[in-house]
Amino acid sequence: MMTLSTQMLWLLAAAPGQVGSGRIVGGWGYVWACYAITVVMLVLYAVSLWVRRPKAPSDAKE
Amino acid sequence: MGKFIKWGLPALSLVVLAAGWWLGLAWAPPDREMGDVQRIMYVHVPLQWMAMVAMAINFVAAVTYLMKASWKLDAAAEASAEIGLVLGTAGMITGAIWGRPTWGVYWSWDPRLTSEAIMLVTYTGYLVLRRFVEDPDKRATWSAVVAIIGAINLPIVWFSVRWWRSLHQVQSTPKTVDPEMTLALRVSAFGMLFLTLWFLVQRYRQALAERQAEVALPDALPPDLAAAGGANSTRVA
Repeated sequence: MMTLSTQMLWLLAAAPGQVGSGRIVGGWGYVWACYAITVVMLVLYAVSLWVRRPKAPSDAKE
Repeated sequence: MGKFIKWGLPALSLVVLAAGWWLGLAWAPPDREMGDVQRIMYVHVPLQWMAMVAMAINFVAAVTYLMKASWKLDAAAEASAEIGLVLGTAGMITGAIWGRPTWGVYWSWDPRLTSEAIMLVTYTGYLVLRRFVEDPDKRATWSAVVAIIGAINLPIVWFSVRWWRSLHQVQSTPKTVDPEMTLALRVSAFGMLFLTLWFLVQRYRQALAERQAEVALPDALPPDLAAAGGANSTRVA
């Protein structure tokens, strides 16, 4: 069983290289999901604009 | 100019946006703590910036409409609100996905996220109001008032991460991110800006055509509104 002083020594030895060095590994699925959802939304909105486009030039009566 | 807006602007948008995203996904370094997940920034941040730009345009158009009534200003307000809502919703979805690996949750009632949600609900209400009011004149005036009230929230959304101790990080801008990430962020933002401008032009033309049709063809309106249609025909196009 580790004594308190042993634990302190272990922490001190580990600290310089490890504290603050946490880093998320991977996660590309989240990245691709974001880009894919955005592309789909932008394409769908562009299609909706095309479907709703005015049939005649909008400046004809200006 | 018309040809450039019709073909050149969307082509330019796609090229610049694709270049920005390629830089963000393949060229820029991963974040020291978030790793590759941080690459979501190159899609999330431009979406949020352009949503704010569109909503700012909506505010300016609404204020200007109340000072000088014009169907063009009303059409610009409608177009910018709809596009701001689309971009803001996409921004919120991408932000929630980014939150899962970094915060551990998709959603938190953090000041930035809460004010953003209020903003999206407000502009949804704005567009719903426009659907429900049939008289073009009343619709334009009432929606302008709603737009001005809704715009009070815009600075709260923007500065919320500075005003409160927030879970959301401070705004990602060229000043707050690593210099090696700046180019990809700038290019992505310009690509999204060009796309937003193209959307705005297309939606504006459509909205203006609708206003002109409503005013020019009062028979298309309900009988009670058609009887009072003469007042609408005096509105400056």
